[in-house]
Amino acid sequence: MATTTLRPRSTSMGSSTRAGRRSHPIARWLKYGGPVRFLFILPTLLVFGLFAWWPIVRSLGISLQQTNFVTTRWVGLENFTRVFADPLLGTATVNTIWFAALALVIGFPVPLLLAVAVSEMRRARGIASVLAYMPVILPPVVATLLWKAFYDPSSTGLFNSIFGSVGMDPIPWLNNGDLAMPAIVVQATWASFGTATIIYLASLMSIGPELYEAAEVDGAGFFRRIWHITLPQLRSVILVLVLLQIIGTLQVFAEPFIMTGGGPENRTVTILMLIYRYAFISGDYGRATALSLLLAVALTLVSLIYLRLTKKWSSS
Amino acid sequence: MKMLAKRWMAGTVAVVTVAGLAACATGDADSDGTVDGPVTISVGGMPTTERPEERAFFQNRIEEFEKANPDITIEGEETRYDVNTFNALLAGGGLPTLINVPFTEMQGLISRQQVLDVTPYTSESEVLSQLNPRVQEVVSSDDKIYGVPWTAYTMSLLYNRDLFAAAGLDPDAPPTTWDEVREAAVAITESTDAQGFGSMTTENAGGWAAATMAYSFGGLVENEEGTEATVDTDAMREVLEFYQTLRWEDNVFGDNFLLNYDDASQQFAAGNIGMFLQGSDAYPRMVDSLGMTPDSVGIAPLPQESNGLGTLAGGTVAVITPTATEAEAAAAIKWIEFHRFEKYSSEEAARAEAEAGVAEGVTVGSPESPVVDEAVYATYLSWIDDLINVPRENFTVFLDSVETLPLVPEPATKAQEVYALLDPVVQAVLTREDADIPALLESAQSAAQSAIDAG
Repeated sequence: MATTTLRPRSTSMGSSTRAGRRSHPIARWLKYGGPVRFLFILPTLLVFGLFAWWPIVRSLGISLQQTNFVTTRWVGLENFTRVFADPLLGTATVNTIWFAALALVIGFPVPLLLAVAVSEMRRARGIASVLAYMPVILPPVVATLLWKAFYDPSSTGLFNSIFGSVGMDPIPWLNNGDLAMPAIVVQATWASFGTATIIYLASLMSIGPELYEAAEVDGAGFFRRIWHITLPQLRSVILVLVLLQIIGTLQVFAEPFIMTGGGPENRTVTILMLIYRYAFISGDYGRATALSLLLAVALTLVSLIYLRLTKKWSSS
Repeated sequence: MKMLAKRWMAGTVAVVTVAGLAACATGDADSDGTVDGPVTISVGGMPTTERPEERAFFQNRIEEFEKANPDITIEGEETRYDVNTFNALLAGGGLPTLINVPFTEMQGLISRQQVLDVTPYTSESEVLSQLNPRVQEVVSSDDKIYGVPWTAYTMSLLYNRDLFAAAGLDPDAPPTTWDEVREAAVAITESTDAQGFGSMTTENAGGWAAATMAYSFGGLVENEEGTEATVDTDAMREVLEFYQTLRWEDNVFGDNFLLNYDDASQQFAAGNIGMFLQGSDAYPRMVDSLGMTPDSVGIAPLPQESNGLGTLAGGTVAVITPTATEAEAAAAIKWIEFHRFEKYSSEEAARAEAEAGVAEGVTVGSPESPVVDEAVYATYLSWIDDLINVPRENFTVFLDSVETLPLVPEPATKAQEVYALLDPVVQAVLTREDADIPALLESAQSAAQSAIDAG
């Protein structure tokens, strides 16, 4: 089917090349619908130009400037120097990596296992999928505020009431430096696992039943089927989702910003929160942009390393 | 062919970009050019449609002003100062000519040159040159004036009068020293379900409150010139020890130590906190927005130790965008005089504003620090006496202190950053029983000095 669609197109391109040898390029461009083609891509060009490419170019400039948006002064690499001189940068970096690692440990298996469980269900699979996706429907700020209330450190907080009913003392949750980040990760996982579950589920549904039937005939049990059929069949989806999760979690902002404000004692300050503080608390857009660019470079490197490490697996 | 397409594409992008820049440049030129004759200015802070009576009053004021000044056109906008949008508005040319900002932001805005120097205009104004000099100081730097303060408050001890009564304390005799605050906090915690004392701890508010308390213990967080951090002082140590005692010894500080400004206000309004530090302008917020009973709100001057320096001043300042032309700036100052200060010289204007507030069902006559002379303010209050719906008799102690308690301005350099550095110090003391106060202060001192030195 694909071959039959491509053939005429290939022929057409070949004839245009031949025509090109005989006419002026502009005439050729006009003959083959140049202006019309341009009109089709114009909206995309405008949207990307104004809201993606131009801000990127502008941010490169701002990272080398000191600006109050009225007057601007070029300062070279001073903004980058000041970013590296900030003692909070190390704390924020460690916190961000800690969040991403915890999110991977907690957040990676949950949607995968849930998707496998749902796919094995004979009945009510639709309801289970809807329930799994439900938290994603809640606006993120609302969901985060809800969990902030759940984590109320007093004995009347939701979680503490539940644990209190079995005789446990109130837990300070977000007020405890060691517990705050894991608590935020649990909330973030709850809020986002629905999307990954649905994607895994869709991939699982596309795995041919004959593979499982053949495995069953060969005497493979539930876990062997998962290991030898399900996971290999899902590997490309898993690779993409894990990469997206790593990139997403390294940019965590809303959850710690709303739940702890970076506390206690900066234990939940993340890199994006630091960027926010530079820009909106200190009004230092140069330094904020410099750190944003450094983060972008770091994320690119992380992605490249990840792709390199998983190259063998993804192509096998 | 590919090369041609690439060049053409690049050309298109360049044209689009240049066209966009040209459009921006045209907008800037319009707003920067000096305008002779008629002038149009935009003013922020217009009440939203949720408050129709006050909005109608605001629009009537515009009509009256335009009638009296036919060369000036005022465009009312609902834009309010928001730290997240201010710079974007300024960069995009969308900032109103005149916008209201809180005192706490003034020092940063002045240092970043994001507000206009209005000295030439205010010095010519008879009304504005008579402003309370203690308040005027907040908007001044290097003998220049950068805004017009039109409401003012002082950082005070807010207390719940109902909880005081329930704990057997006299709501009309609030604590005047920190020892008395401690005793009251213990009594409230023992007699009620509320925590006796509380504090904001996040989003720089923890540092803001701690710095204010340090003033009452006799210490500043920076020297007056703003060149030296003075975080590691006996005064700040006493503040943190006070917190430590209330938290770990008396257990009257509650359970949650991650409260921002809004969280603490809500907890106080809900009757869960007996006392905490906040601006004396909190009354309308507590009553109008958070539903607190008017008679429950208590406001006391910031308790002072024998060597106390006073309290931090706050309020609202009308500032002019730095891109305003001379004509626009002059028109904006004229509007401020008319809209914010005519009530102090015209009984009719005073009553019209108060009547709009009463019709809207919001507080009229809430406690504040006058921005004008004491006598002028008293006359103003007498004009609207029958419209005042605030039990001002509950605030006698506070109102008596307004003219006597010294005002301490915000730290001169990097105030918000110094406050931000103090947040984790306060959190450490409240969340860890073994918090090492001298070590915490030493570290904060070093970080604050680095922030100041960085310029």
